[in-house]
Amino acid sequence: MALSIGAFYNPHLGAELVQAAGIDHLAMADPPRADDRHWPAIRERYTLLLHDYLGQLSEPLDERSIQRARDLATLYRTPWVAEHFQCLHTEDGTYNLNYVFPPLYTDEFLERFVANAGVLKARLDQPLVMENIPGFFDVRASQMPEPVWLRRFFERTGTGFLLDLPHVWLEAHYQGRRPDAWLAEFPLEHVVELHVAGVETDDDLRGPWIAPAEPDDRMLEFLALALQRCPQAKAVTFDAFSPSLTADVLFRSVERIRAAL
Amino acid sequence: MSDRALQDAVIRAIVDAPFRASPEWRDRKLVDPDRLERYARFVARHFYHERIVHFFKYSRALARVTGRRPEAVPRDPAFDAFLPGAVLGSRATARLVAGLVTAYVRDGGPYPAIPYLDDLLAYEEAMMVVEAGPRVWRDGTEPKGAGSGEQYPPARVEGTAFLELGHDLPAVLPQLLQPWTEVPRAPVRATRLLVARSRHGRVAVVRPDESTARVLQLADGTRTADELARVAGLGPGDLDAALQGLFELGAVRFSAGS
Repeated sequence: MALSIGAFYNPHLGAELVQAAGIDHLAMADPPRADDRHWPAIRERYTLLLHDYLGQLSEPLDERSIQRARDLATLYRTPWVAEHFQCLHTEDGTYNLNYVFPPLYTDEFLERFVANAGVLKARLDQPLVMENIPGFFDVRASQMPEPVWLRRFFERTGTGFLLDLPHVWLEAHYQGRRPDAWLAEFPLEHVVELHVAGVETDDDLRGPWIAPAEPDDRMLEFLALALQRCPQAKAVTFDAFSPSLTADVLFRSVERIRAAL
Repeated sequence: MSDRALQDAVIRAIVDAPFRASPEWRDRKLVDPDRLERYARFVARHFYHERIVHFFKYSRALARVTGRRPEAVPRDPAFDAFLPGAVLGSRATARLVAGLVTAYVRDGGPYPAIPYLDDLLAYEEAMMVVEAGPRVWRDGTEPKGAGSGEQYPPARVEGTAFLELGHDLPAVLPQLLQPWTEVPRAPVRATRLLVARSRHGRVAVVRPDESTARVLQLADGTRTADELARVAGLGPGDLDAALQGLFELGAVRFSAGS
């Protein structure tokens, strides 16, 4: 089966995306706005992947969130539904990062994610895939390395793995490890989709971080290497969703991803 | 302590700068403090950049006249100066950040072409402040609806705001986001707006009628619906309608007392 190469739907680039060639699918981070005049043509033209925030699976999703996921999956006719390994707000809702953040890699969190992903999966008509989230620092309460935790999760739930490569690359960078060696520890046999994008230096972090930027040659080589190790991969998505993203960067990135493979 | 509670402590340490500096947190030695501080500053800038772009979008649309783009504020030294006391998502910090933005935009003035700028900034600031505060992420027990008024006294939800403006802003706001060559004008007209937030964090603005505004001003959590109707001079049907509208908006809750 041919690998599908795509990007995120950025509504401010709707006019260009409607006309574009060379893009097989679009991931949807937000529902279409009522005033998005390009949406009907986008929906007609592209395979759409549901990649919204559905809820954090450290807690069970409520009925409203599950129904919302089902409705979006139907609207998009998505082949799979994506969520993240994240825990970004406190249980009581008082504190909220408003930014992706991984859970502690412990048995307790594993049980929580396995149980809650299982409930969500059972309520969806499409397979569920879960995306890895980078940590900028280690928390000394974690009980196992992230790849071990992920492997246990995938083996117990049968969900697919959405492998975000810049996330792996950044973790390797901040742990002072070789990206390829760190990647090799992840359960790559479960990978269904890969995300790739550029990284840029952030002044606060004093180092590279996720950015809506073109992947450089080094990242594309990392992608090619990863794909050799992901026998079940069906799609690669240029992971950039931002009002600052330009059509040039989006189209050139997709082209370069395709060329690198 | 459960792992979930520990995760909550880590999340709080990222968003709550005074907690991050406290012995209660630091003595746990869970995270490298330098890494945590760097990440916390990154998250703070991201958190308020997103909110400024969203809530100050009309000022942003006017930046070609003012020369002041609100989203520049998180990169301003004044923003860095307030970070040691910031609690992301709190109403107090939202008020501070919104204040930085309004001061930044005003400082470039005066702008004779935008006579309603003060009203606009007050409106945008109110939206950002009302959005702040803890929210419900998951539905559990449903809140009691307006029919509960006899049992539970209605109370105005904290943060709900009235705005008294000199211009009819809602008439001009959509035009600001459309292409324009001359700055769209706002009718000069006394305008009262009510800004409220739902339990799930959705901010809404309405023009309250007189009875709705009166009910909200009187709903202090001590008067029952009957008492409220009597003081406001409303019949039961009018009161129910006003309370139901306010409840759906997130402007009142029905307090069981405690």
